[in-house]
Amino acid sequence: MAVVEVEQVTRVYQEKGMPPAHALRGVSLQIEQGEFMALAGPSGSGKTTLLNLIGGLDAATSGEVRVGGQALSGLSRKELADLRRDRIGFVFQSYNLVPVLTAAENAGYVLELQGVGSAERRARVKAVFDRIGLAQFLDARPLKMSGGQQQRVAVARAIVSAPAVVLADEPTANLDQATGAALMDLMRELNKERGITFIFSTHDPMVLSRADRVVRLVDGEIVTAPS
Amino acid sequence: MSGPLSLGWRNIWRNRRRTLISMSAIGVGLLLVIFYSGMVGGMIGEAKNQLDDAGMGHVEVFASGYRLRREVGRTMPDVRAQLHLPPGAQVGTRVLARGLATSARGNEPVQVFGVEWAEEAQLSAHLRKLTSGALPAAGDDRGVLIGEPLAERLALKVGSKVRLMVQRADNEMGADLFRVRGVYHSIAPAIGQRQVYVSAASARALIGIEGAAAHQVVVQLEDPAQADAVAGGLRAALGDRVEVLTWAELLPVLKRMEALTDNVVFAMAFFVYLLVGLGVLNTMLMSVLERTREFGVLMALGTRPSRIIQVVLAESFWIATLSVVLGSVLGSLLTWQFSRTGLRVNPAESLQLGGMIISTLVKTRFNPLDILEATAFVYAMALVVGLYPASRITRLQPAEALRRT
Repeated sequence: MAVVEVEQVTRVYQEKGMPPAHALRGVSLQIEQGEFMALAGPSGSGKTTLLNLIGGLDAATSGEVRVGGQALSGLSRKELADLRRDRIGFVFQSYNLVPVLTAAENAGYVLELQGVGSAERRARVKAVFDRIGLAQFLDARPLKMSGGQQQRVAVARAIVSAPAVVLADEPTANLDQATGAALMDLMRELNKERGITFIFSTHDPMVLSRADRVVRLVDGEIVTAPS
Repeated sequence: MSGPLSLGWRNIWRNRRRTLISMSAIGVGLLLVIFYSGMVGGMIGEAKNQLDDAGMGHVEVFASGYRLRREVGRTMPDVRAQLHLPPGAQVGTRVLARGLATSARGNEPVQVFGVEWAEEAQLSAHLRKLTSGALPAAGDDRGVLIGEPLAERLALKVGSKVRLMVQRADNEMGADLFRVRGVYHSIAPAIGQRQVYVSAASARALIGIEGAAAHQVVVQLEDPAQADAVAGGLRAALGDRVEVLTWAELLPVLKRMEALTDNVVFAMAFFVYLLVGLGVLNTMLMSVLERTREFGVLMALGTRPSRIIQVVLAESFWIATLSVVLGSVLGSLLTWQFSRTGLRVNPAESLQLGGMIISTLVKTRFNPLDILEATAFVYAMALVVGLYPASRITRLQPAEALRRT
């Protein structure tokens, strides 16, 4: 069953006085529940744009994106926010933790948005932190943690609410090879344990080698046939 | 906890120096507004108090037509039984005449006030501030009280004889000899120079009117704000045979001054808050826009636009709260201190009405309502100021916010 459906999606950026920039040109793609897949391609190929469209962070110029069967094009900003909160997790290249929150508060942020009480929130975050080896960092501030630890907190934040899909935009780009590999292994394990669909954008061969499927983009078009 | 208030509180301390500067700017602005408002309110209040002390009523009743020509024959009967006044009101009846006071040194124009001593001493503070002598006893029909400047000009002292000559109700001249029983001090030179006090019975005899007839009834209220209501009641009760006026009608300049100072305080507060508000807006914009990416992350995680606005407004709220605590505490302390000790001003620069120096010692008005109003204004400003950067953020697509560095 497809958890994400992308149908003939085009994204054109138009800025005043500039020629239109086609970030995506008629992209179609289906991603099944539980997939561990990568979007590959050089810089400017449209990987991040495609992830943003799947995550409802941006709006397609034409075409349609569906997440869990829900078409995103007709949703209001509030409805898109609720969809992201309940069904999509994000991992960013540069971790993007909120520096004034502790690691546990960062990880539990989405749960708080969902209205989960503080005790349950803490318990669920702790369970995930135990699982990913961050048990002793619950109350640490992000700036006191290493890049790898921060990225693991970001992964915890993405999965703690059990979303259908986790979108990870070059998650290992700021990590050294060993830390990046460990992070990928961790995500792979979570993918298998929990059945969460992971979609990465990357050009890191180590990440690509761990993916079940790789979709290559060049100049906003898919160059390998999506399966 | 990462609710909007908690997040807002933590965010304001990210750049401690910037927050402290913003807080100080708002706090000092608030302090200035509270103190200035207290000072101006104090001056106006002092002016009213001094007029009260000088024997002016919050409501005054005159014989119909008397004020226009000051004809002593235009009197009114005793209306006191018909006055229904609020508790605490002080009432006095006056018989009035213009004339000359004559001594061996010369003569001076005066206004003769025929009064009941005990009630007039309640109304006119200067009769309680005798520099020599004492109030004439009840039934003393020869006694007169004069002010220091008149005593000096006519070389009079307690025990001296003085001749008062006035125009009588029958248009003849009336004169009698009085003995100075006391000399009073008034902060208003015009009062001390012109006003002489004799008993009401003596004044009636001097100008040739009978019974309990009088020209003026003065009412001082515990709450001057009741003047309009009391005057309305008196007009209804007494009809056309008398003229009832409030202090604002008797001294429109003071009323206009009160309105003017209210406007000045408002304008001053407006500009102070405008300047402070622009400064804080700049700070908030910098603080919020430099975190655009972070707000993009919060939106990506599923934060609704309304919650983003709450987070930004929470920052404004906390800055306003800290500023209000700082500004209102310091402003209140300063205003309270000067409401006790007063602020001495040069008599040449002090407020004058009709030649009367209203005050040389300005005591600020410590009014919690002033502080509440100023505080509410700061909160309103903070919310308005916070809305703009919040709206700038929420107008962005999350992807666009994430691209910002």
